Amino acid sequence: MTLSLLLSSILLLPADTAILKTHDIDEVVVVSTGRQGAKRSIKGQVASIDEHLAELDHVNLIRRGSYAWEPVVNNMATERISTTIDGMKIFFACTDKMDPVTSYVESGNLQSISLNSGLNGNPQSTGNIGGSLDLKLRKVGFQPLSFEGEKNSIFHTNVSAGHEFNGHLQVYGADASYSSYGFYSNFGVFFRKAENYKTGGGEELNFSQFQKVNAFANLGVRLAERDILEGTIIFDRATDVGYPALNMDVAKAQGLITSLSFKHNFQESFLTSWETKAYYNHIIHVMDDTKRPDVEIHMDMPGDSWTTGLYSLLTGSNGTHDASLNYDLYYNRSFADMTMYPGGAAPMYMVTWPDVGTLNSGLALSDVISFPHNQSLNVSAKFAFQQQKLNNEEGYNALKVFFPGMKQDYYQTTGRVALSYAWRPEHWKLTFGTGWGSRAPTVTEAYGYYLNNTFDQYDYIGNPRLKNESAVEVNASAKWTKGRFSIGADANAFFFKNYIIGTFESRLSPMTVDAEGVKVYANVKSAKIVNVSLSSQWQALKWLKWSGRASYAIGRDAEDDNLPLISPFSYTSSLDFTHGDFSAQATVQGYAAQTDFGAKYGETRTPAYAILNLSASYNIHASKSLISIRAGVENLLDKSYTTYSDWNGIPQKGRNIYVNVNWGF
Amino acid sequence: MKKLYYSLIFAAATLGFASCSSNDGDDIDLSGTGITITDDSECCSAEEALLVYKFILTVKHVPELSFEVDGKYKVNAYTKTGSFHTGYNDIYFIASKKSTDNYVKNFDVKNLTPIMNMVKMGTYHSTPVSSGVSTVEDLPDAIKHGWVSFVMNSGEKGTWAISYDAEVLSSTGSIKDQTITVNALPEGQEWIKSFKIGEQVYFISLVNPTSWKTGTNNIKAYVSRKNLESLTTPWGVASEEFTVEAVPTMPDMGNHTSPDNTSWTKQSDGSYSGVLNLTMTGLWRIHLTVKDKDGNVVAGGDDLSDGYSSLYLDVTI
Repeated sequence: MTLSLLLSSILLLPADTAILKTHDIDEVVVVSTGRQGAKRSIKGQVASIDEHLAELDHVNLIRRGSYAWEPVVNNMATERISTTIDGMKIFFACTDKMDPVTSYVESGNLQSISLNSGLNGNPQSTGNIGGSLDLKLRKVGFQPLSFEGEKNSIFHTNVSAGHEFNGHLQVYGADASYSSYGFYSNFGVFFRKAENYKTGGGEELNFSQFQKVNAFANLGVRLAERDILEGTIIFDRATDVGYPALNMDVAKAQGLITSLSFKHNFQESFLTSWETKAYYNHIIHVMDDTKRPDVEIHMDMPGDSWTTGLYSLLTGSNGTHDASLNYDLYYNRSFADMTMYPGGAAPMYMVTWPDVGTLNSGLALSDVISFPHNQSLNVSAKFAFQQQKLNNEEGYNALKVFFPGMKQDYYQTTGRVALSYAWRPEHWKLTFGTGWGSRAPTVTEAYGYYLNNTFDQYDYIGNPRLKNESAVEVNASAKWTKGRFSIGADANAFFFKNYIIGTFESRLSPMTVDAEGVKVYANVKSAKIVNVSLSSQWQALKWLKWSGRASYAIGRDAEDDNLPLISPFSYTSSLDFTHGDFSAQATVQGYAAQTDFGAKYGETRTPAYAILNLSASYNIHASKSLISIRAGVENLLDKSYTTYSDWNGIPQKGRNIYVNVNWGF
Repeated sequence: MKKLYYSLIFAAATLGFASCSSNDGDDIDLSGTGITITDDSECCSAEEALLVYKFILTVKHVPELSFEVDGKYKVNAYTKTGSFHTGYNDIYFIASKKSTDNYVKNFDVKNLTPIMNMVKMGTYHSTPVSSGVSTVEDLPDAIKHGWVSFVMNSGEKGTWAISYDAEVLSSTGSIKDQTITVNALPEGQEWIKSFKIGEQVYFISLVNPTSWKTGTNNIKAYVSRKNLESLTTPWGVASEEFTVEAVPTMPDMGNHTSPDNTSWTKQSDGSYSGVLNLTMTGLWRIHLTVKDKDGNVVAGGDDLSDGYSSLYLDVTI
């Protein structure tokens, strides 16, 4: 019964959200679709991508400033997760991880963000040990034929504006769409600007400002009744971005994302659809230290990342099977260099990413098999082969100093396979899953050159001789629902082999003045990461809901020492009041002290904290238009605090009052 | 159509013959070089002449050190830039017959002697010089090579002059005290340094610092000994066998250094060679510790406040 309800509710959804029927997928909706029960940020559509990401279970964010937070899934950061935009591969261009790829889109571009926890990744993901994020673009889609068979068309316009008093953050967005049976287009612009914010207690945090503009357009043409051609273009540019946790800021972080896809929907066949998409994206990242006082040596550190690729996804279902087959191919080039200008003397130049060309192709298969008595089994597997070439001779020669005899070409094969079983007896939902997967070293891990990590104050050198890292995952969850109350627990554990992490090399001398030393990436024999969480909801009254969640994680290396950036015990508890078009929320959010910090990896203790947030929203319906007004206060008590994931312990925002309006007509 | 096909085959075949027969020298094109090939056995074959001609295109003429011998021969001198700089300079000599402009197959250059006139002090001294002028491996015998490593540049303190003798076939001639200009190296470049062992003074000269790049470099150097008995006699390569330990650091980067550098050891040709790893471009200070045959530190190797030898060379790449 539950399953069929679930399935029927899915059939009502747009096609690109149908993936929800698979297991272990968490999703945050960026733009309201009128769907009930879906997660969304309390700040609504104008919330930043980072704030939307924070809504997802299993996700934490590493903050180096107030912009471009790095998503962490199951306590694994960029290296161990996959991030795709509508299935497109995209790679960041900053050697210091100042630009996770999620920073190159805006809320206005997206319909939703979905997360597949662990090894059961989306078809296009590779190297997703911790999980895979897919940012789903907001394509307005075609208008269906009316019951009378008439072709209608719809115009829709949406404008939004927001202001946050702490840091004087301004957000403005406008987009418009036209949708008919044979054609659709939606396009818009987004602007965001913030000054330095004040930490708890009222102190201004220098270099926490940023500014960003974003423009996008989507286009769809129905070539034939069941043949669809779709194109997307996104241009995103952030300028004057401060990074208070680092020694440098960013002058420009620019992304151009384009795609063209062809989709055929089958009828009266066990095949559902076949979509082939070709894409290209280019990211330019330029760091800037000219605004910092007391810079010992001025440096230029630009980075570039180009990716072009395609995927072809065939889906089908026959009642018991719900299967997909995906082939994907991409080519990425990552180049970064650094020029240092000592006063008067000759500039010093080095290539920090030696123009690494990566050609990767993979074949992925997934099937959800339904069994009687509300049971189902999800099987997914992917095999990928990749070739890498170091195109920059100077960078190659430099790295060869440390790895004599290294080659200019490398080959890797990676794969993953995951199984998940779900059973839904009355009142219960039980799942059990397991999987194995491997990932190739990242460009930084394999070929990075003297990349200073301000977290532990070491210079990092990549290691072209690294082996693939692999992990076995086991996960389980149980949820019990009765009436208006539900309680659930879920846990996953990852057991790594050849875990890749920097290890200290005493014989090497650091390049960065004041650095502690040099670390070279190495495979440590094993490591483990375990995540557990408990959550509960209680719809106490029609207008009052309580929900709570607590999580805990441990991460240990082969010597049983703590891994860095593993979340300490954390909890949230919120009360939701709803009355018609009015809703309000009070949330307490806190972390225990980080006592299991990775001292070996330069991490230090962070104290416990708890903050209180309040928010309210009101919807006004007028003829054909909807106005949503949201207001709230974060950190009501103006606590001064820092979390384990605040890079170098930069303090979080103090009390922040916000208000935003969204008007759709 | 078929005809064209056959003629293509024919053309290809003749081309093949042409390239096979090029060793005979008949097909070597010297037009435009001004060189006339005759049966003169004292001069280069067409093939050798072309090699020499091509070599000359890679260097620059030094008119001050070029002259005529007996009205029959020209002796020309060349350096990489057509001028001289402080530190090690390669000098090439090539003799040709005036009548044909072809290069003389074999000739000798002797007594290459640079002298500095210390104008203000009224004294004269020489500088490190190669042990003789000789042929170079992989180049025709018509090209002679020697080197001079100038301890300082021309300037107010003093001027440089060079003398040498040439024996071309049965004729002899010489250049006497021809004034040349030795340019100073740019800032951040010190390619020659002296060190003392007891009373003796030695000079270490880097041969190939301009070819150093980011990455692993095979370096070449000479150690020469000052001629204390006669300062104006060219200072030859030191007969002692040293081992030179080199630690490259970047003074602008908190003395950042590189791993796996090897000691410079003496080769059969009298030069020193070793491996130097440079991790980026910029100013590299090569700190030297000189050890004798028994491994005793004889020069450098003292720890300054920064922990590195005070005997050093600077190379900016």
